[in-house]
Order: sequence, then C-alpha cells, then structure tokens
Amino acid sequence: MSDSVIRLETDVVVVGGGVAGCMAAIPALEAGMGVVICDKGKLLERSGSVGGGVDHYLTVMETGPEWDTPDFLLKHIPELTDGIVDMEVTDRVVREMPRVLRKLEELGVDFKDPRTGTYDRHRSFGLPGAYHINFDGTRFKHHIGQRVRRGKATVLARTMGVQVLVEDGRAYGVLAFDIRAGTWYYVRARAVVLSTGDVNRLSKNASGLAFDSWHCPYNTGDAQAMGYRAGATLANMEFTETTLTPKGFSTQGLNALVSLGAYFLNRQGERFMFRYDPKGENARRAVLADGVINEYLEGNGPIYLDCRHLPADVLDHMEETLQIDRHTLPAFYRQKGVDFRTDPIEVSISELSIRRSGLYFRGSGIAVDVNAESSVRGLFSAGDSATVSGGIAGAATLGHIAGESIVQYLKEPRTLPDVAAGELAGLTAAAAVHLEQPDGPSWRAFEDRIRATVTDHAGVRRTEKGLRLALDTLHALGREEANLGAAHHHDLMRVHEARNIRLNAELLAEAALERKESRTGSAHRRMDFPGTDDEHWRSFVLVDRTDDGPGVRTLPARDPLSAAFPRSRQQNGG
Amino acid sequence: MDSQGGALAAHNPIQIDPNSCIRCTLCDWVCPGDIIYKEEGDRETLPVVAFPDECWYCGHCESVCPTDAITIVFPERMLNNTTDVLTLLGTIEPGDVPAMEG
Ligand SMILES: Cc1cc2nc3c(=O)[nH]c(=O)nc-3n(C[C@H](O)[C@H](O)[C@H](O)COP(=O)(O)OP(=O)(O)OC[C@H]3O[C@@H](n4cnc5c(N)ncnc54)[C@H](O)[C@@H]3O)c2cc1C
Ligand code: SF4
Ligand code: SF4
Repeated sequence: MSDSVIRLETDVVVVGGGVAGCMAAIPALEAGMGVVICDKGKLLERSGSVGGGVDHYLTVMETGPEWDTPDFLLKHIPELTDGIVDMEVTDRVVREMPRVLRKLEELGVDFKDPRTGTYDRHRSFGLPGAYHINFDGTRFKHHIGQRVRRGKATVLARTMGVQVLVEDGRAYGVLAFDIRAGTWYYVRARAVVLSTGDVNRLSKNASGLAFDSWHCPYNTGDAQAMGYRAGATLANMEFTETTLTPKGFSTQGLNALVSLGAYFLNRQGERFMFRYDPKGENARRAVLADGVINEYLEGNGPIYLDCRHLPADVLDHMEETLQIDRHTLPAFYRQKGVDFRTDPIEVSISELSIRRSGLYFRGSGIAVDVNAESSVRGLFSAGDSATVSGGIAGAATLGHIAGESIVQYLKEPRTLPDVAAGELAGLTAAAAVHLEQPDGPSWRAFEDRIRATVTDHAGVRRTEKGLRLALDTLHALGREEANLGAAHHHDLMRVHEARNIRLNAELLAEAALERKESRTGSAHRRMDFPGTDDEHWRSFVLVDRTDDGPGVRTLPARDPLSAAFPRSRQQNGG
Repeated sequence: MDSQGGALAAHNPIQIDPNSCIRCTLCDWVCPGDIIYKEEGDRETLPVVAFPDECWYCGHCESVCPTDAITIVFPERMLNNTTDVLTLLGTIEPGDVPAMEG
C-alpha cells in the first residue's frame, strides 16, 4: 500500500487545520493561491482544541482608553512574561490584533453579547486592562473552518502530516497519510505551514488515562517534531504548563468557579491561598497551581475547592455555565455524585503540556520571525506550536500573519526541488514500517514510560540528576521506537504521535538541564537552582538538530529569536 | 510501571442507545480523535466505539447527536479517584538538591 503515493502540487500546504492553520490558509486563498490543508479530524469546522467552542478572546480594540492601545499592552508584556519573550514578534502580533478581530467578525464570528449588543470585556489572567471579550464562541471554529472549505482549499481530512521535505535549507513539501484509508500523499508546495498545536500526553495525571487531558490529547507536538527534524530551531521548550482540575478529570472548568468566588481549603480546613499571595484566590493562575502543589508537598492534602459560602444566585450562575468550558463537566459531577453547592470538590493538578507556560505571548515550539517564518526558509508556524502564542487570539493573529507573509514570499520566483520517484517510496515505506510489524511493542506502554519519567524527573520539580535520568530513559526509548507495532493506519498515527511526544520530551529535558535557574513557578522549577537569576538567565534556550542529537544554545532575551537564524547572520555579513 | 492501556479497553465511555440512534454518522464526523466509526450510507449499522481508551471525554459526539442517543459514561477511576497527588509532583531523593527552597 505504501508504494502508491498520491502526488499533489500546490502553492501552500498547511499541516493542522486548527485556529492558526485555517487563519493562515485564508489570506492565501484570498490571493488566489492553491492551498492544501490536512488535519487529523474529519471536519475543519470541528477539529482541534476548540471544535467544541470557546468563551474568551484576548485583544486590544483601540476604543479610546489608554489601556486599550497596543502600546500600553506591549509595555507590560516583559513583566507579564517574566522577562523572556520575543518582543519583536509580539509587537507585530499585538498591533495586528484589532485587524484580525475585524476579519473574524467578517467571517461570521459574533463577539458581542446578544443581550446588550456590545462587547463584554473583562480584566482577567493578571492582564493590565479588560482585554478579554467574553462571548458565546460555540461556533467560532465553525466559521473559520467553513471559510477555508468555501475558499476551495483542498482539504485532506483525517490525514496526518509526518514529514517536511527540505533541500538547501528551504521547505518544499510534506508527506502525509490518511489515517483510515491508508492513502499516502506527497504534497509538493512552495510554502509549508506547520500548525498542529501544543504537546499533550506528556506526563501523568490523576486518572492515569493518557487521553483524559486538560488540552487536546490529539495535539502531540507533531509540528515541533517535524520542524526540528527538518532543521528548524525550537525555543522555550523547557517551560511546561499545568492547571487545577477536579481530581480524576483533567478538564477546564475549575478556574471559572475560582473566579466566581470559590475558596481553596486544605486538609485542616484552612483557606491557605493568602499565604501564597495577598490576593488569595484572585492571584495569577500559576500562583494558584503552585500554592496547591506546595500544600500537597507539605502534607496538607487533600486540597478542596469550596463554594458553600456563595449566595444562591452565584451558585445558580455556576451551574448554568458549567458546561461552557467542557460539555461533559456537569455529567462528571452528576455521575460522581458531588454537588458543589453542598460538597467541597477535591482538587488535583493536571498533566503537563508544552504550550506557553500559562502566560500570554511566550510560546514554546518552533522559533519564528515577524513573518511567522522559521529558521528554515519557506517553513512557517503559528498557534500553540510557535514561539509567540496566546490562545485563540494569538493563534488567529500569527496564523493570519503567516498567510499574508506567504503571499509575499511566493511573489519571488524560485525553482522548487522534487523527490525522485524511487526515493519517495522509500520515505513512505520507512514511515509505514510499523505496519509490517503489527506484533511489535505497543505505543501505549511506550508512551506510559515517557509519562512516568517526565512526571518523576522532568515535571514540576527538576534537578540535574533527575533530568539526566529522564534523558537516559528517553534515549533508551528512542532506540526502541523503530520496533513499535501498528495494526492499522489509525494505530500508525498513534505510533507517530508517540514518537513525537518522546522527541518533545527529550528536547524539554535538554532545555531544562541548560536553564540553571527557576522561572515562572512550576513552569520551570529547578530544585538545585531555586532562584530566578536575571543576571545570567534573561535568555532564551534554543535547541537545534545536530549530528549528535539536540544541540542547545542560549540567546539574550532582548534579541528576537530570529537573530539566531542562519539568514540573519548572512544579512549581517557574519 | 503504570501501564494501563490494555486493561482500560474494557471501559466504554460512549453509550449509544440503539433505539433512538438514527444512524446519521454525525458523531463519527465530529470526533476529533477518530474514536467512533459509523459505516456511511448504511441505515442498519450502529456507530462503533472503536478506540474507547483514546477518548478525550470532550462530548462533541454527545452534543451533536440529533436524537440524544449518546451518553458519556465516566469510568470508576475518574469518578472515584484514589491517586495520591504527591505521585504527580516528581521524585526528589535526599541529596538531589543542595538546599531546599524556603
Ligand atoms: C477545551 C478548550 C477550550 C479552550 N478555550 C479557549 C478560549 O475560550 N479562549 C482562548 O483564547 N483559548 C482557548 N483554548 C486554547 C486554544 O484552543 C488554543 O490556544 C488554540 O486552539 C491554538 O490554536 P492552534 O491552531 O495552535 O491549535 P488547534 O486549534 O488545536 O489546532 C491544531 C490542529 O492540528 C491538527 N493536527 C495535530 N497534529 C496533526 C498532524 N500531525 N497532521 C495533521 N493535523 C494535525 C489537530 O487535529 C488540530 O485540528 C481552549 C483550549 C481547549 C482545549
Ligand atoms: S467524547 Fe469526544 S473523543 Fe470521545 S468519542 Fe465523543 S467526540 Fe470522540
Ligand atoms: S450522532 Fe446520534 S443518531 Fe447520529 S449516528 Fe451518532 S449516535 Fe446515531
């Protein structure tokens, strides 16, 4: 089967039709270019993290007050990101936000509150202004996905991208396969976008179920892994993200109760959060997670969330809005037999993921410049897989920038490389080899070992010794991965995901070993370097592929990440 | 080692009521994880939960179903979870760190 490959020729190929990927496709379609977009899901209207809906959107709107200007928000971003952020790219993203918001409205997204006809804006997540629009985003993804489909993009549904093709530092295509039919595609394209979201299934959670995760478990760092293998520089890979969840279900929805006035209690019944922050439960999210982690470590667990003191109308509101964050949350509480009106809810931390350390604008993943282009020419990235990200707004804005940049990039004529027919069969056969060994070791057990070592040694408490132990295990798993078995193409997808998770975990551990300080709470806590060391570590950690595995370098955070790209060295004559 | 994959296949998170299901295929189409399979164009067959242990518990399938034929059923280990949260917080042995953070 793997020797018959469908060949497609196009201007732009997008891997990952989420928020960022769809928004990158739209400007290219508007410019009349050919676009091929592949996604693991069947419908662009529903695939990815937010197919079930969203409820908040971060943006400046320039409505008059000083706080609502790009300049004001930009001024505060260094402190909001603990001093490590690519300000050059962030500057462009923040300035483009109002325009992309209008574009989304043109696509049919209604950001206004139907009861008032105005934007319902809130100050939250520690931001210095009311930048969040709260809205009914049930059909947010529907509108963007539909625009791409109607724009006559070629949509390869249920198709997983596995490899970016590069020659002389320039990307020219993608290999992908249909996870049900098994069809292989070679999409030869003049520009490539990698937008497959964040890295999940990376560490253990309370239920022990790998796919019970806060963020989308089908986003497994495929862009980061494909980009790295193709020679793209990655950055900020040491920073991870966790949240507080009702114990047993890794879901969003607990923070909403906290923001409506719920308290945290420890085993002694003490409302302890004021010991961690004078704002108590109103502290930054990361502080709340750190407070809970510390109470558990001090032996004060279990920790509960308590709503019993709240007035009936607040409790009613909580109950009505419970399913907004996760459709299944009311059913979970019901089946569990807890009622937050009368029972405290036991709390756990979720598994970790690599995304943006709980902060806006400091993304982890493929390093990009102001055009969303990576260190590999013609290879673009946006959304949670790129180094400047921020929820759906960050993904939409940088995605749109990527699309517009590609339109410019493609104006320059250049000859496009090609894969020789014989070579192509070899590439797909190598990627499909797991089907030849269906009785090989299972990706499930393989992944469990990744999660165990990340949790124990590269998670919320890190040491040099632990990180080296994690790397030993991850290297050993790397030597075994070629033997993994797949019974069918769905399984082949999971095998490739497992391999990509392993690679991301290895890059995480390498970068975390390099950063000899702690920063942003449990996003990167080195027990052997507990302090934040601005004098030496106000720097990015970058990882690149070398002949001997990952090569790690640092770059002062006052520089844009693109200062480390080969092309900027050429431009500077160095 | 915490290898759960195989054992968990036993729990089916997606219950489909054969009497109310109208075989429309929507649940298969909206699932982001390729978990539910429904033969297209066949009015007889029910959707099959092919990979129950890979379910996200997102409920897209349940919310899209036109006849409310789908019920999400959480497993015991999610509902009555007994994991010690400390096991999620990393293994540090004495001597791994020079001095603990105050
Ligand atoms: C339940 C939930 C609610 C959220 N609510 C909000 C909110 O209200 N506001 C907000 O700002 N943020 C919210 N977020 C965060 C937000 O979803 C993400 O930051 C945003 O979607 C990132 O966009 P993206 O394009 O990078 O990733 P996604 O939108 O997740 O898209 C990634 C896409 O890539 C596909 N894919 C993955 N790997 C491959 C591969 N190898 N080949 C082909 N396709 C692949 C996936 O199927 C997916 O469609 C929420 C997240 C979740 C999980
Ligand atoms: S709950 Fe979500 S992941 Fe599970 S079968 Fe339904 S749509 Fe698929
Ligand atoms: S969506 Fe509902 S009615 Fe349609 S096939 Fe699925 S279970 Fe049956």
